[in-house]
Amino acid sequence: MSFDTPDILLNLIKIGIVLGLILNVTPIMVWVERRGSALIQDRPGPNRIGPLGLIQAMADAAKFILKEDLVPAQAHKVLYNLAPMFGLIPAVTTCAAIPFARGFTIPDAFTYNGVIGALLVAGAVANFLFGVIALRVTAHFGAKPGATRFNQWIGKIVGVALIATAPVLFGLFAWFRSVGSVAMPLGLGGRYFEPIIADVSIGILLIFALSSLGVYGLATAGWASANKFSMIGAVRASAQMISYELALTLSAVGVLMSAGTLQLTEVVYRQSGTFVLFDMIPLPAWNVFPMFVGFIVFWVASFAETNRLPFDFAEAEAEIVAGYHTEYSSMKFALFFMAEYMAMGTISALMATLFLGGWDVPYWNEPATFVGFLASFGAFLAKTTFFLMVFVWVRWTVPRLKYDLLMKLGWKVFLPLALLNMVIVAILIPLGWI
Amino acid sequence: MIPTSWFLILGAILFSLGVLGVLTRRNGITIFMSIELMVNAVNLTFIAYARELGSLHGLMWVFFIMAVAAAEAAVGLAIFIALYRHRETIDVDEANLMHW
Amino acid sequence: MFEYLIFFTFAAIAVIFSAIVVIHRNPVVSALALVVSFFSLAVMYVLLDAPFMAALQVIVYAGAIMVLFLFVIMLLNLAHTEEPITRPIQQFLGITAAASFAITIIYYLCKAAVLHTGGPAEFVSDARAIGVSMFEAYIFPFEAVSILLLAAIVGALILSQRTSAITEAKDGGAR
Repeated sequence: MSFDTPDILLNLIKIGIVLGLILNVTPIMVWVERRGSALIQDRPGPNRIGPLGLIQAMADAAKFILKEDLVPAQAHKVLYNLAPMFGLIPAVTTCAAIPFARGFTIPDAFTYNGVIGALLVAGAVANFLFGVIALRVTAHFGAKPGATRFNQWIGKIVGVALIATAPVLFGLFAWFRSVGSVAMPLGLGGRYFEPIIADVSIGILLIFALSSLGVYGLATAGWASANKFSMIGAVRASAQMISYELALTLSAVGVLMSAGTLQLTEVVYRQSGTFVLFDMIPLPAWNVFPMFVGFIVFWVASFAETNRLPFDFAEAEAEIVAGYHTEYSSMKFALFFMAEYMAMGTISALMATLFLGGWDVPYWNEPATFVGFLASFGAFLAKTTFFLMVFVWVRWTVPRLKYDLLMKLGWKVFLPLALLNMVIVAILIPLGWI
Repeated sequence: MIPTSWFLILGAILFSLGVLGVLTRRNGITIFMSIELMVNAVNLTFIAYARELGSLHGLMWVFFIMAVAAAEAAVGLAIFIALYRHRETIDVDEANLMHW
Repeated sequence: MFEYLIFFTFAAIAVIFSAIVVIHRNPVVSALALVVSFFSLAVMYVLLDAPFMAALQVIVYAGAIMVLFLFVIMLLNLAHTEEPITRPIQQFLGITAAASFAITIIYYLCKAAVLHTGGPAEFVSDARAIGVSMFEAYIFPFEAVSILLLAAIVGALILSQRTSAITEAKDGGAR
């Protein structure tokens, strides 16, 4: 193994992109969840801090940090403190093996063309206009009773910052146009940028292995709290996650059978392109069409794996207070919260990768250029966001099951269905349909 | 490349720790965990030899050992649950009904 | 160089946490320490060019078997039952036996010292090679293991039933 500077730089860029995405899932999803639940229940939701309550999540984070950190007297101190980290680490590391866009060859030089110039000018003008609008809106609402000084300051800062970026962008445009072309710095030119942190040969197994460790966070937290409700939550969580992991893994086997490899980049490449149904309808070659049963099983099992509402027995607040994190307060509680949303983000991305063609833009053959990279990245984000939205939608729509029903459903319905999916794929592959 | 014998020594240390656990502990589940540790030490040895000899047979053995260990864990823990229901303890010294 | 650093770090972790498994008197701590130990063994498998086995190790041992252990310990609430101190004679004999076993085996491993070559150049252990090997040379053991697992499922179910089929039949006969 040898690394040179561009290699290290490229890897740092990838890690930066993925970490930036996964760490931002939590604040964005908290906002979406609270506003979405308000929308569904016909109430306003958090709308005081920032426009539309957008920076509510930051206020929540500040509150979590400032709160007192309580440790129960009877708790096992070491494990009590370690448990939130056990929960968080698998959630953060899993996303390293998911390809998030089409790879591209970095060009040796940037050359100026009309599109880039137009984009830069448009960005400058738009930023200026948005800045002015932000200032006007702040002034308008600041005059009304009930406006907080904090909100006014936020509005002013955002407005001024937006206006300040406008001349910078315009200057960039003027400079770029006069120079014509810029050589790629740091020897990055000519390198192939594969947008995945760890393109290992056992990709999907790595993801399942790491995500199967997520249960230890819950189980340890529940046990170390020395609280009956926490304990019940932990026992429920471990039984539930073992059961549904089976259905989850088996429903993904069909995908691996058709791809013939465990490497996730390869799985996605196999899904780009189209196939023609009944010699008439061209469809994207996504796995969701031949493996619809497996897709549904994976989708439902992902709710159980992330402890989301129809299956959130580890923390069912109507039955066992708050389940495994009853005794947790302050930032440790926030870590569990973050882990839950990160696990949601990862499993949504995984679902998009396995069944919806990952970064594949339907009916378009992405070129291996920067444009293709951006478009496919956008497609990947759109698919992932879709699944995240469904998580929120389902949580506020479907009531909680009974625990024995959950187990019955897992073992008697979803496990056989996952096996059925495998059989279907095994029949379709020799027929040449996949 | 790390010499194979280092892996073997690591396996030997882990195996001995497992032996220690089985011989000195009286809690049934801890003894069971020590056995799992010994099994894993053997797995490590198998894989180290597999790389040394460049053959997949060692890996196959590890695969089957893992499957048997899973079966063993399921049945063994069920036995401990049954024992606990009857005796209210999983101390292996207490389970001496068939002891002369 | 980098490899040696990883090896020694994770070897130390494996040994320390295995010692915790054996010594600690709280079964929950033991179980969690065993998980850490298994995880560092998975790192060893990666160093031995067998990433597939490493993933299996984490999925099967850390992800399934140890969760089952933890589940049973929590279910029986064993963490709060005091384990009586082992008899001194048993402790002495156990430690002596384990130590002499370790010293003997490590002595002969070091003495023999034939295994410093580092093996052949290529060692292919990806999923395809393992699958081909399993379904050609090892198809019979594979089927046998599947039957064993089925038997284990049935056995575990019968053993952990609250009233087992045997006692029920006995009760019926008594009445």
